[in-house]
Amino acid sequence: MKRTALFMLVASVFLSGVAWADSTIKIPVAAAFTGQLASFGEGIKNAAILRGEEINADGGINGKKVQIVLEDELCDPKEAATVATKLANDPEVSIVIGHLCSSASLAALPIYRDAKLPAISPASTNVNIGKMSPFYFRNVYKDDFQGLFLARYAKLARGFDTVAVFYEVNDYSMGLMTAFMKEAKKLGIKVLGTEAYTSDTTDFKPQLTKFKMMKPDAIFIPGYAPQGTLIMSQARALGMKNVAFFGADGLDDDLMLKNPDAEGLFVTTPFLPDKAGPQAAGFIAAYKKKYGKEPNWFAANAYDGVGLAAQAIATVGEDRVKIRDYLASLNSKKKAYKGVAGNTYFDANGDCLKDAFVKEIRNGRWVSAEKQLQ
Amino acid sequence: MMDLKKLQKNPRLFFLCLFFLAVLLPWLPMGGSTNYVIRVLTTAVLYMVLALGLNIVPGFTGLLDLGYVGFYGIGAYTSGLLAIHYNMSLWLILPLAALNGAIWGILLGAPTLRLTGDYFAIVTFGFSELVVLVIRNELWLTRGPMGLPGIPPPTILGHPLTRDWEFFYLILFLLVIVLAVVTRLHDSRVGRAWFAIREDEIAAQCCGVNLIRYKVTAFAVSASIGAMAGAFYAKWFKFIHPDMFKFWESILILCLIVFGGMGSIAGTMLGALILIPLSEVLRAVLPQSMFSARYLIYGLVLVLMMRWRPEGLIPFERAQARKAWQAKERLGL
Amino acid sequence: MDSLLDQSSLFLQQLVNGITLGGVYALIAVGYTMVYGVIQLINFAHGEIYMLGAFLAYTMVTLLGLPFFAAFILTILICACFGVILDVIAYRPLRNAPRLAALITAIGMSIFLQNLALMIWGSQIKSYPREILPKIFYQTAWSLGEATLSWLQVFILVVTVVSMAILHLIIHRTRIGTAMRAVSLDKTTSALMGIKVNRVISFTFAIGSAMGGMAGILVGLYYNAIFPTMGYIAGIKAFAAAVLGGIGSVPGAMLGGGVLGIAEVIGAGYLSSEYRDGISYAVMIAVILFKPSGLIGRQIGEKA
Repeated sequence: MKRTALFMLVASVFLSGVAWADSTIKIPVAAAFTGQLASFGEGIKNAAILRGEEINADGGINGKKVQIVLEDELCDPKEAATVATKLANDPEVSIVIGHLCSSASLAALPIYRDAKLPAISPASTNVNIGKMSPFYFRNVYKDDFQGLFLARYAKLARGFDTVAVFYEVNDYSMGLMTAFMKEAKKLGIKVLGTEAYTSDTTDFKPQLTKFKMMKPDAIFIPGYAPQGTLIMSQARALGMKNVAFFGADGLDDDLMLKNPDAEGLFVTTPFLPDKAGPQAAGFIAAYKKKYGKEPNWFAANAYDGVGLAAQAIATVGEDRVKIRDYLASLNSKKKAYKGVAGNTYFDANGDCLKDAFVKEIRNGRWVSAEKQLQ
Repeated sequence: MMDLKKLQKNPRLFFLCLFFLAVLLPWLPMGGSTNYVIRVLTTAVLYMVLALGLNIVPGFTGLLDLGYVGFYGIGAYTSGLLAIHYNMSLWLILPLAALNGAIWGILLGAPTLRLTGDYFAIVTFGFSELVVLVIRNELWLTRGPMGLPGIPPPTILGHPLTRDWEFFYLILFLLVIVLAVVTRLHDSRVGRAWFAIREDEIAAQCCGVNLIRYKVTAFAVSASIGAMAGAFYAKWFKFIHPDMFKFWESILILCLIVFGGMGSIAGTMLGALILIPLSEVLRAVLPQSMFSARYLIYGLVLVLMMRWRPEGLIPFERAQARKAWQAKERLGL
Repeated sequence: MDSLLDQSSLFLQQLVNGITLGGVYALIAVGYTMVYGVIQLINFAHGEIYMLGAFLAYTMVTLLGLPFFAAFILTILICACFGVILDVIAYRPLRNAPRLAALITAIGMSIFLQNLALMIWGSQIKSYPREILPKIFYQTAWSLGEATLSWLQVFILVVTVVSMAILHLIIHRTRIGTAMRAVSLDKTTSALMGIKVNRVISFTFAIGSAMGGMAGILVGLYYNAIFPTMGYIAGIKAFAAAVLGGIGSVPGAMLGGGVLGIAEVIGAGYLSSEYRDGISYAVMIAVILFKPSGLIGRQIGEKA
């Protein structure tokens, strides 16, 4: 009996791989749709599905329908590697949109490289990713740019002279912190102290108490929203009323709006609905209509990612290497892909340079900050 | 259930058949999903090695080791760092990783192995958490949460391994070596001493078994197998990250041996062979929101097996665990 | 001068933070210590009862709209029942099995419950909307220099101390408490003396789980963060607290919780916040290795 069960098992694994033989073009989207960072994945999922429907409504790519396939990897590097293998070995897949977290990207990247499968990450901002594979692209800026931008904004637009940094022990947060501190030193911002927390920390009071005594102008939180909102609440509960908080795109989450203590927080973001060009108006309206809320930057980048993939397939067909070469050829402002989140063109590493914007919470809503820095 | 009974009597034949099937596997016609199937089975074989290693401690000596993943992580990082900084060959890395695992096993085992069951379990747990904490925070050595990317692939006779089936054969080769070592130990004087300790520590001691020495040996062997599996893992994945060595892994491996049959070599391997591909089947079958909670099934396996079939699928052959169990129950011990 | 004042109020604030955290650890640790005292089992699923307590109260307050204090009492009762059910279905059938079996069952239950919560409530961190809770929780009760103590912290400390006192009375002044002490000394003899051992064990689970559930509610309030894996780390730290105080001893759990809470906060505040969780693990390992009886516990022999 066990032998039969085993056979069935192997057979079902095998069958699941070949079930979809159709005249559609598969575009897999690999990100975290469940787990702690699911709210980031949600924007990616919504926008990718929206773009897929729009492409199909316009007649598909070269007459073929697009099928968006969601692959959940929970932002776990191990899961990401398994998903990547599955995709790399699927002959119907010629490009991947993913992954979300940088550690997932780093685990998936060697597999795509070996399989010569191009991928576009809408959200992995880790500095190292680009150099490691000619097949990995991203339409989001890197952490070193974001950290530098934040330091300049903090000094020039807000006039902060003393800052404390409260970072999470992960690649994203520490990359941002390093870039921020480097630029802060140049600009003469005094970093009074740095403290760490981990993703399962809920008690931030010991570290915040230390910051309280340092009396900084502002606290920089280069982390994610689930912890960010707790940090701000606990800081206010400790009586830190006058200190300002700011963060990067990891805090750009509607979760922050539920917290009255987050009033005044400002963050960098690659995409602002009201600062986006006219080409974004249709996307924002369609997204609002379908999902009942404004798209965030994850959504905008995923929307552009699917669009870019569709454009590549329409131009050079479903050959993996040709698609890669096509993406790599988009290497100047003139050849850039004009998306809803600005122009996307790649440097030699597959990284891209994009504008950053600043938005803040006022009266419990995200609005674009009055002062922007270009 | 007939098959299961036959399997219990003669697991060797079954595994021999399975082994030949495995050797042939990359050449079977499976269309586009060959590589995916091979990758999943490579994972399964890797966990067979891991389970064989862990089995030595709870299965052979009866001590619950919750810190096994710590050695796995130590092995992976030893391998990754040696490969990146010294570009060392795999055949040098594997024994060095095993040695490093054994050293840590002895360092942890020597002071802790005199503890009774529950305390031992919790100390090993603390150890594995500390290992992850050190890996995460000592950036100068491990790059911490940035992970260790760009580990060069292993080379055999100057030929770098890149294809999935090459890694599959490599891990199969490792499995054969580990299996040979474990079977030899199992049938040796050392093995008999371990089983004596498991059945009754005090009686074993009275018969002249040096408790600490044999327990530390068990721990060191187990740790070095775990570290070797980690070394392979790093070379295979080419990227390692502290999150890969969390406590969950220890539980997963424990679940494999409990399911297959604690103490039984054949059972341990069967457990890995069934439960690891199961997670891939669940990915295909379950809706997304349920998939992230799939560990629920592993928890349930632990509870149900302990309640209804504590000896596992293939019971440990020598001691006839169930009979001993029932006898104890009757006596009300 | 100014900096000296700052330094002392910094220390005072950290002490307050540490004592609050310690109180919570103590409440969870009691559950471990009582169960261990009676059946010599590390009930790994205890951390999950703490987590369920937090979720249940949250669900009652936000979804069902119950007033906070009603939800508080109701949750504690449910958690107590839950502890009994856990014992009856998972541990009781294994009472005479090898200890390894019970330990593995405990780990299995812990993982099962954690993932069950993940399925029911999802992995996102849940927070109470502020307007739902009594306002007084967020007001400052007392302040000295820069150091403050909120009413919520006062509430947590009072609940901890009062419930510990009640527990102490139950154990030392009631018949069931005497029975519990008897069972923890010798199960077989107690049974021969007419004590219904299983009933006493179930009662122990009920009390321990009630305390654990209560700790869950309080922590959910204090940090305003409720998520399925919260029981895992808190459970291990509370176990470390129980070991530190001396396992099997209720005052020990309280002492251990307090010491560990302060050690952790002071360690994070003055030494290294990166290794904060490591402090508890290191304390736990050191105590088990060098003084397994803990600060005020009884000696544990070869075959405890």
